[in-house]
Amino acid sequence: MAGKLDIQQGTLALMVLKTLDVLGPLHGYGIARRIEETSRNRLSLNYGTLYPALLKLEQEGFITAEWRQSENNRRAKFYALSAAGRKRLAREAREWHQTADLIAAFLGRREAP
Amino acid sequence: MRHVRALLARIAGLFSGPKADAALEEELQAHLDMETAENIRRGMAPEEARRQALLASGGLTQAAEAVRDQRGLPWIEGLTADIRYALRSLRRSPAFTAIVVLTLALGIGATTAIFSVVRAVLLKPLPHREGNRLVYLRQSNDAASEIGFSVPEVRDIRAGAPSLGGGIAEWSSWTAVLQGGEGAARMSIGLVTGNFFEVMGLSPVLGRLTRPSDDGPGVPPVMVLTHEFWMSRFGGDSSIVGRRVRVDRNSVTVIGVMQPAPFFPSRVDALFNMVISPHHLSATMVEGRTHRMTELVARLAPAASMRQARSEVAAVYARMQRDFPAAYDPGSHYRVEVVPFQQVLGERARLTLWLLMGAAVFVMIISAANVANLTLMRGVRREHELVTRAALGAGLARLRRLLLAENLLLTLAGAGLGVLIALGGVRLLIALAERYSPRAGEIRVDTVVLGFALALSLVLAILLSLVASLPKEGTFASWFAAGGHRMSGGLRKQRLQRALVVVQVAVSVVLLAGAGLLTRTMISLSNVRTGLTTEEILTMQIPLLTLGQAAISDPQADVRAKEQYELMRSEIATLPGVSVVGLGSPMPLRSSDVAFDVKAEGKTFAPGEAAATAEVRTANPEFFRAAGIPLLAGREFAATDRADGAAVVIINQALAERLFPGEDPIGKRAAWTGDVLRFTPISGDWRTIVGVVANTQDGGLDARPRGVMFVPFSQLVAFSGGLVIRTDNDAEALVAPATRIVRRIAPAAPIENVRTIAQIKDESVSPRRLNAALVSSFGILAMIIAAVGVAGVLAFSVSARTNEIGIRMSLGADSGRMQRMILKEGGVLVALGLVLGVGGGFLAAGVMRSLLFGVAPHDPATFIGVALMMAAIGTLACWIPARRASRIDPAIAIRVA
Repeated sequence: MAGKLDIQQGTLALMVLKTLDVLGPLHGYGIARRIEETSRNRLSLNYGTLYPALLKLEQEGFITAEWRQSENNRRAKFYALSAAGRKRLAREAREWHQTADLIAAFLGRREAP
Repeated sequence: MRHVRALLARIAGLFSGPKADAALEEELQAHLDMETAENIRRGMAPEEARRQALLASGGLTQAAEAVRDQRGLPWIEGLTADIRYALRSLRRSPAFTAIVVLTLALGIGATTAIFSVVRAVLLKPLPHREGNRLVYLRQSNDAASEIGFSVPEVRDIRAGAPSLGGGIAEWSSWTAVLQGGEGAARMSIGLVTGNFFEVMGLSPVLGRLTRPSDDGPGVPPVMVLTHEFWMSRFGGDSSIVGRRVRVDRNSVTVIGVMQPAPFFPSRVDALFNMVISPHHLSATMVEGRTHRMTELVARLAPAASMRQARSEVAAVYARMQRDFPAAYDPGSHYRVEVVPFQQVLGERARLTLWLLMGAAVFVMIISAANVANLTLMRGVRREHELVTRAALGAGLARLRRLLLAENLLLTLAGAGLGVLIALGGVRLLIALAERYSPRAGEIRVDTVVLGFALALSLVLAILLSLVASLPKEGTFASWFAAGGHRMSGGLRKQRLQRALVVVQVAVSVVLLAGAGLLTRTMISLSNVRTGLTTEEILTMQIPLLTLGQAAISDPQADVRAKEQYELMRSEIATLPGVSVVGLGSPMPLRSSDVAFDVKAEGKTFAPGEAAATAEVRTANPEFFRAAGIPLLAGREFAATDRADGAAVVIINQALAERLFPGEDPIGKRAAWTGDVLRFTPISGDWRTIVGVVANTQDGGLDARPRGVMFVPFSQLVAFSGGLVIRTDNDAEALVAPATRIVRRIAPAAPIENVRTIAQIKDESVSPRRLNAALVSSFGILAMIIAAVGVAGVLAFSVSARTNEIGIRMSLGADSGRMQRMILKEGGVLVALGLVLGVGGGFLAAGVMRSLLFGVAPHDPATFIGVALMMAAIGTLACWIPARRASRIDPAIAIRVA
């Protein structure tokens, strides 16, 4: 797992919300795949990280869950963004951009390795 | 908002059953399948595809566990698991559980019940506003402990003690009859100044209280009911305010009901402004320095301290004694004290209550020690189980939590049962406390008391968990190695057990010694001769005239009252079974607070010698025969001792010895004397002594008899007279017919204190009996628990040493020798406990000296008896396990090891 980054809970939540915003309702596998691909495989999500995070978002009311048939006709639990989730996503994305800009300005630009 | 929502979701998650688990499993499985399928699609072999997918998952079980933690509240689930486990393990040893819970319940119950009394009577702040600023002023002398103050004295104190600037509340105790048909009742009343309630810091629960505008002559008489009297007499009727009632011969308006509050030195039913008693407004009252009828409670000025108040009052008092030497007989040692009001309310109860509290705490200690011992032994037996659990991955913290949960269950169950015991016990204790404290009405098992029981059980649980020693972290290995063996529990643990046993025995001895002394006190009290020759006597008081009416000497009323008394006497005398009926006041074995200095012809007191005093009592010719008071010399009163005849008296033995030591008093003359007689209907004329009667225990069975002068019933105003009815058989059976006759003759008169002599005597003994019974039951309980403790520890020691005993026996030691070995082991502990206990008992007896009567604090018989009893019980407790040791079969013992 060398070279792979650990993921913080808050960050993961934001990634999940963004994924659902872009792709619409999706099951856990789909979410994990999307996050790993977007990170160009720098992140890897094991189930013990992903599913508690999904449950927490569900408990907080930012996403909803529903059992449906998947594309290959398997029953799977699909998660979808709720209105509250959409609001949180917008707010947190804005905050992240601001923070990132600030830190970048502070540290100076640097090419990605 | 979202946190609340999440918390609610998680609480709901606590109750999600296996269905949620199944769904979770399906979800994870789906993920795995999809990933496997994807891997296959990328060209992996199915086996490899699945292996890679599993690898990436990070473990399905771990993931499920993580989700479950997120779903509910893990610490609650951990706790419920611990409790479930603890319940299961306690159910497996029901005998242990029952003994521990019961022992704890007794300890906690006793302590909680007595704590509720101690709190209400001694500790709780007074209901008065800023009650800690109230001080009680007490004037006393060698003859009386509460003599009150006169109006001039109050005036001097008020002027000379600015530290009492919060005001001085005055009241004088008085009695009055509340009229009302059949239900006429004599009330204890307080005559108060208008500032009384303001100074005392009391508020009305209904209507208003008196105020300065109610002072002085010419105002309408008003009445404030105490909460207690309002409830008992008027059933808490809220329409009472504004009602007019007849009190004595006045029409009085009820203006309000005050909040519940204790009075001192005696209970009060209602409070009046002074106008109801012309006497209190008269010049004699206002000007007479020796006319002491007023009780004082003062409020400290905002910045003043107790010490300031004491020194100022002492200075004023010294000046008063210098300026008015006639009012303070130097031989009687007049003195004044300033005491916090709260302290004075609890002073009679303090020693008894702390004694009981101490006894209860001792029982608590013994029962806790026993539980600790049981836990230790059980802990050793469970080491095996704990080792196994540790081997299966339970960490040390987890084991500690398990033990704590178990101990908590035990102590909480004990506390629950204990509170039930306390609820029952408190009722008994209120009856006891009423004899000692005006605050007994405040006793209740409230949240503070329940909190006390809860705190007690928490502390015990924590202590018990500490006692059970767990291995240090990292030493599990040695445990595993020893795990197969039955273990002795180590030296440290054994020492602790032994120390606990010694403490138990010692504390039991202290308790038993106290119990023995109190029991002997009670027995000596019941054996006190009352001075009456029989107990089949019924007494009843019928106050036709109150002190108030008698004091203003209404001659017509007095004549009428005496006629009525005589009628009652003669009619009751005709009842079947009645042998003789006497008239007099007050009743035999009742204390009297009317006593004055006396002088006798030819008797001069040495300078500095206290003046002799004598109670004022009246008796008709039949009184002494009816009461069974033996005549020692001279004659009884006769019908010829009429109101207009020569003034005669009969004195009691105590007075005869005081006034005429070694002489024959018959024919000599004596008289009451002193300035204060001016304010009473009692004259200071010389009276000829015609007889001497035996002393009677009027002031209580443990009191020294006071001097008494009996005046013929006909020669003194008939205040609060009563009937003494002697019968050949059952005195109690006369209550109904005698009451009927009295009712017919005086329908509106109160009938009070209808008691047989046996009952009066019993009332005097009963608080002591309850005291002795409580401490005795504590003592016996302690002894039983201690015996169980000794036996248990030895039995445990025997079973731990089975191996050793087997070896010894196979080497030639006989069973008698083994028995002696174990007996010696226990005997040393019991003997040590005995020595410590007797020492502690001596100390305790010194503390409770003033509660004892008729027995010395270090009474050898009691202590030897207690020591022998404890030794016998201790030996018996040792003997049972010793016998078991002697029956060990060496062959089996060695093989088992």
